[in-house]
Amino acid sequence: MEVISLWEIQVARTHCRRRIASGMSDSVRAGNLLATLLLVSCCLGLTGCNRKADSLKTLHFAIRSDGPKGMDPVRVSTQYDHVATAQVYDTLLQYKYLARPLDLEPSLLAEMPTIGEDGVTWSFRLKKGVHFCDDECFPAGKGREVVTRDVFYSWKRMADLGNTPKGWWLFKATIAGFDEYRDAQNAAETFNYDAPVEGFREISDHEFQIVLTEPVTRFRWILAMPQTAIVAREAVEKYGREFPHHPVGTGPWIVEDWQPSRHLRLQRNPGYRAEVYPDEASPQDVELGLTRAAGQRLPIADRLEYRMFVQDQPMWLNFLAKRIDYSQVPAEYFNEAYIKRTQRLRASYRDEGITSQPIVLFDFIFTGFNMTDSVVGGYTPEKRALRRAISMALDIEERNDTFYNGINVVYDGMIPPGLAGHPPDGVAPNSPRGPNLERARELLVEAGYPNGEGLQELEYYSGRGSNYPEQAEMMQRQLSRLGIRLKVRLVDFSTLMEIVDNRKAQLFSFAWGSDYPDAENNLALFYGPNRPPSSNHFCYENPQYDRLYEMILTMPPSEERTKIYEQMRDIVLNDMPYVGSMARTRFYIAHKRLKNFKPSETFQNWTKYLDIEEE
Amino acid sequence: MWAYITRRFLFNIPVFLGIVLLVMAALRVHDPVYAYLGKNQTQEDVDQLREKMGLNQSFLVQYTSFLGRTLTLNFDEESWDQPGVSVGSRLTTSIGPTLALTIPALFLTTVISISVGLVSAYFRGQLVDRLLVLVAVLGMCVSFLVYIILGQYFGAFWISREFNIQAFAIDGYESGLINWPYYCLLPVLISVIVGMGYDTRFYRAVMVEESERDYITTARAKGVSRERIMFLHMLKNAMIPIVTRIAISLPFLITGSILLEMYFGIPGMGRTLIMAVNSNDFPVIQAFTAVFAAVYIVTNILTDVAYALVDPRVRLA
Repeated sequence: MEVISLWEIQVARTHCRRRIASGMSDSVRAGNLLATLLLVSCCLGLTGCNRKADSLKTLHFAIRSDGPKGMDPVRVSTQYDHVATAQVYDTLLQYKYLARPLDLEPSLLAEMPTIGEDGVTWSFRLKKGVHFCDDECFPAGKGREVVTRDVFYSWKRMADLGNTPKGWWLFKATIAGFDEYRDAQNAAETFNYDAPVEGFREISDHEFQIVLTEPVTRFRWILAMPQTAIVAREAVEKYGREFPHHPVGTGPWIVEDWQPSRHLRLQRNPGYRAEVYPDEASPQDVELGLTRAAGQRLPIADRLEYRMFVQDQPMWLNFLAKRIDYSQVPAEYFNEAYIKRTQRLRASYRDEGITSQPIVLFDFIFTGFNMTDSVVGGYTPEKRALRRAISMALDIEERNDTFYNGINVVYDGMIPPGLAGHPPDGVAPNSPRGPNLERARELLVEAGYPNGEGLQELEYYSGRGSNYPEQAEMMQRQLSRLGIRLKVRLVDFSTLMEIVDNRKAQLFSFAWGSDYPDAENNLALFYGPNRPPSSNHFCYENPQYDRLYEMILTMPPSEERTKIYEQMRDIVLNDMPYVGSMARTRFYIAHKRLKNFKPSETFQNWTKYLDIEEE
Repeated sequence: MWAYITRRFLFNIPVFLGIVLLVMAALRVHDPVYAYLGKNQTQEDVDQLREKMGLNQSFLVQYTSFLGRTLTLNFDEESWDQPGVSVGSRLTTSIGPTLALTIPALFLTTVISISVGLVSAYFRGQLVDRLLVLVAVLGMCVSFLVYIILGQYFGAFWISREFNIQAFAIDGYESGLINWPYYCLLPVLISVIVGMGYDTRFYRAVMVEESERDYITTARAKGVSRERIMFLHMLKNAMIPIVTRIAISLPFLITGSILLEMYFGIPGMGRTLIMAVNSNDFPVIQAFTAVFAAVYIVTNILTDVAYALVDPRVRLA
């Protein structure tokens, strides 16, 4: 490559000399100068970029945003914060890498927690010998062992409003005395982390108990969420406000260099606990070679580098140029990489050894109604008929096909594919899904608005980004077939949130991504007490539904619980506080050199299982 | 001159205060707290965060407090979007990448455009002139975004794939002169190509107008060569519009190019600002706006001063 460049420069120089000698004007000389500069720069670029690669195994990944904002577990709110935080911090439990449906296993714990006969006392035993990474915050810079107090301290940080925690709802009304502790400490002049919490019981440095207010089933999932990751008090106190940029954890990676909005470089944590690649796998995993690394010490690679992309083109080009190892497939490049009809990777990609993995996300994409609105809200048969008519008039498949290349999964209810309670083939018994214009017109008559007459123009709020304006136009067109007029208001996300939470929107488009693989998380969206600004944006109220929701909170996974999920789903479908639903399918493609690749968006610490081979 | 500068500066204080007032008021039309807290928030959380962010205070208090901090150059306030990072830090880390793009782009665009404008004026009405004008107009007709997308594809990716030459980065940024050509030259060239269309036409018009002045006729009558007239007499006298044009561009050296920075992953001022707007990061938006406004005002005053320096007929009073 260097030979080529030098030759090019020689040619350029000769060319320049000849032209200058021939007496060209100053401007032409300037042009030549520019050309020379360009070539010299190319040469500089070449020398700059072709530095001999070191022998370390480095994973190169992309983040489709300007990246994580910080790595303080209690402030994790976006997927990107989650991605970064999960690499450097550990939680008590973690997801089994290869298991589908998703399941949990101990991470910082020596074994899965045991639940007492009362159902509320959970006993934990921490692994011995797990150390925080070395950091200046510790005496002599040597990371110390993780003990019970670290768990309590880390969780208490979630109660401290001074930390602007984003996930208090995970602990709210869950642990005995924790809510009272939160109220008392935030009311006090200084937040006392040493004050006791009734439900936190320290037995020894490695053993403790947590007493819940009631047998809360979701608690096990919470133990694997990044917000509950374990931090070192010394680090929080030493770095203060800058702690989100000085992560000190027990995770498989430690931060080498972080330039916000540009890149995040991590290196293997040399003190990472003795954890090995799993051997528990499905036959399909074995066939795909995902068990070849079984027993290998984690993390397998030496370095991990994330680069942030706020535009899709550079990310895609970097993937094609093999400068990143895997990529999500942006919608505008889907047809370039896949045959739309079959959703198969094109031959040119397969020939290069590129592999593809579609993942259906735990998404609930819907158009909600404000149930307190005098026109579209309410629970009378007429009001239900109006909402059902709107649902019957809308063609979600057309929307999916037009805006999502037809790759999303359309379904009834609020329970996404892959979770207990999701209807078979996505169709619920009382499916209100359109398009069925004939039935929609009948329903409109029942609602008292034959052919839409007498129905005021409805106000629909949606985000203004991406292709939402076009999606709103499609909705307008589909409803106009019924004589329903829609006034579209496109606003930015914060305004949308504010308007919806203040109950000013009649209809609105939102999406919900499940925090953990249990439909309870989605069913909470319709629980009456979760009214805005909490997650029940619909202001939906149904005492029967609320009673069932309170019941399932304490029920372990079982057929009986799934039946209640279905019952709750059908109650909501009958009341119709929303029109939906859709779950995104994300296509991941990876270069041949990336090994052990089985991505998930529910958990993010899977980078430690990945290997990279030189091509 | 100092009296003039002082007076202009004082006159511009209300302008600065007005800009900050407008921006702060516009930001507060909607409450950012709901989006900031995300899902599962309670009214208590909303109220407490609003208090922590100072949004529960009256607008006047927020306004005067921000002005006070700005006037004392205190940018220590924490960015809402990036916890643990001060606004000042975001300003200082993004100014370098922006200048690495905008200064070379402005320099190259100006030098090339003036040269082409001169050539065009020199061959006024002839084929060369018409061709240059045509190219300039064509250059203006194509969207900046098209140049970026095609430039990135062909300039960085395609060359790399077809010829195995990694001349330019597809995106990314590293500081340091040695890294500049690899990361910045392609976006700079794209910026130059786009800017040249407008500038060439402007400078050509200036040169043509200047070529019709009496002093040019006099110089010709005295037998001065065409080249000397063009590059010595005419260029010198065309400095006022040239300085004006450059001065107008100076504030944009700071604001950067949002599109270029977004596509090429250059963490400059434009990209930082647009990201702050997207995430309702009030402290960053306000600080950036105040800095931009101040730079714009200072640049305007300096432009007037520069007039007096390049044209002895101009007197500042």
